[in-house]
Amino acid sequence: MHPFKLPPQILRLVLLTLAIVGSYLVARAFLTPPSFGQYGWYRGDALGLIASRPPVFAGKQACDECHSDILKKLAQDAHKTLSCEACHGVSRQHGDNPDIPPDKATGSHCIRCHEANPARPAWFKQIVVKDHYSGKCTECHMPHQPTQTP
Amino acid sequence: MITEVTNIVVEVLPQFEGYVFPNEAIAQPLWSTLIVVYPYITGLVAGAFIMASLVRVFNVKALEPVYRLSMLTALAFLLCATLPLLCHLGHPERCYEIMMTPHMTSPMAIFGFVYAWYLMAVLLLELWFDFRQDFVKWSKVTSGFRGIIYRALTLGVTDVSEQSVRLDMKMEWILSIVGIPSAFLLHGYVGFIFGSIKANPWWGNVLMPIMFILSAIVSGIALCVFNYIVLTWIRRKTVDMRCLDTMAMFLFYALVVDAVIEGLDVFHRGYAAEEGFAVLQTMIREKLFYTLNIGQVGIGTLLPLLMLGSLQLLRRRVPEAIRRTMIFCSGAMILLGVLAMRWNVVMGGQFFSKSLRGVMSYKMEFAGQEGWLISAVILCLPFIILTVLVKLFLSEQLQPSEHEPQNKSTT
Repeated sequence: MHPFKLPPQILRLVLLTLAIVGSYLVARAFLTPPSFGQYGWYRGDALGLIASRPPVFAGKQACDECHSDILKKLAQDAHKTLSCEACHGVSRQHGDNPDIPPDKATGSHCIRCHEANPARPAWFKQIVVKDHYSGKCTECHMPHQPTQTP
Repeated sequence: MITEVTNIVVEVLPQFEGYVFPNEAIAQPLWSTLIVVYPYITGLVAGAFIMASLVRVFNVKALEPVYRLSMLTALAFLLCATLPLLCHLGHPERCYEIMMTPHMTSPMAIFGFVYAWYLMAVLLLELWFDFRQDFVKWSKVTSGFRGIIYRALTLGVTDVSEQSVRLDMKMEWILSIVGIPSAFLLHGYVGFIFGSIKANPWWGNVLMPIMFILSAIVSGIALCVFNYIVLTWIRRKTVDMRCLDTMAMFLFYALVVDAVIEGLDVFHRGYAAEEGFAVLQTMIREKLFYTLNIGQVGIGTLLPLLMLGSLQLLRRRVPEAIRRTMIFCSGAMILLGVLAMRWNVVMGGQFFSKSLRGVMSYKMEFAGQEGWLISAVILCLPFIILTVLVKLFLSEQLQPSEHEPQNKSTT
């Protein structure tokens, strides 16, 4: 009686499969980043990498150091929850060195929130810009004290 | 950075009609022509494979002349199936990472394994068993680079005895049987990825995987018809009409089932008229009017149904040349129609959100990462690969071995 012998083509395929699976496992050992899975399904080192990036926002407190008068006005009116940099642009560099102007944001800041949009709650003040007025918003409104007129 | 984000919002808001969720506050749908091409190519792979399985599993002898062409078509398209995704995501050099750190709860990560299974364990193996004796034979009579390729593909096994060939046939049969559910899995999975998005009424539908598989079978057979006729035309050979008529018959049956299931989906949505129905009507009547009513239903379904159906009834009365033209045109129209279906699914689902209060606008780009140029290039690539495969493995100079598997060629 002959002992069981694997047919040659099947034997080659088995060897090939083992080679492929083996190289996958070796590749996996080399290519998986060392810190992968440290905290979860991501590279643990990524956190340090992200944290090492320089921040670009100064924050309201930094603005308060020089512009406290404006912040006081702002705090008394409807826009009190807004961040200065939402309209004036990122200001970290400006905070460190006042000679550098803030990174001026382009476009109209007012219509970002006040353009009519069915998604917004009805109590929220909304306008259709093209029907409203073609000039500058600040001709009639004061952004820091929106309930008052200039 | 914040300036850029502000500018995007300011530029983009006026482009919306009505309301969209904030995650849609982008210039246009994130998924574009590349994501349309991706399920299209995957479907063609699954369809071409199922068409080939008719020969091996269901013993449809008339289709033997296109068996190898269908398998090579499936391989050529499978090799390009992930390209649209890689181009869409950017950084294609990171593609291996999905395999290195697989996440078992991510459907797309699992797709990497579904794809690898289908390519390595089904398609390549079945092709290898089918071609093995030919590789041995051709490696002996061919020299140069081609000879090296054939020798390498034998994997060093030169045994072509009767017993060994019988084993090849048996393995091929087993792989075909494993291959059918695998092909369904490959493309059903694409349908599942869309169908499982329950927040989107256009996608979230249990019929989605079934519709994807059926349209895949239809498009795969149509592609085989197209390739077979083009190949015989290029080689100045005569088309085997028995084979072509059989393909047309299966194409007709598959198209009937596909049309019925897609029609059932429409009726079900219409009768159930769930919360999203109004926006679906807007999509059908306005946003997707041309691609859905004209492309998918008219060109892709009704006209081919009419042509192929009349051929089933009047086959003997229609001259061969006209029959060939009609089948070729039906195949080409179905290929366009299924592409339109993929477009309707992928783009349609992104035109509105769960709020159902408005639709987005979209303008197709020409160049760039999401442009239609790159999609067109990706769609052409499988045909170029197929040309190389046909030159190597369906060469006119190298005849297939006499040890044909159980169904001897009828050509």
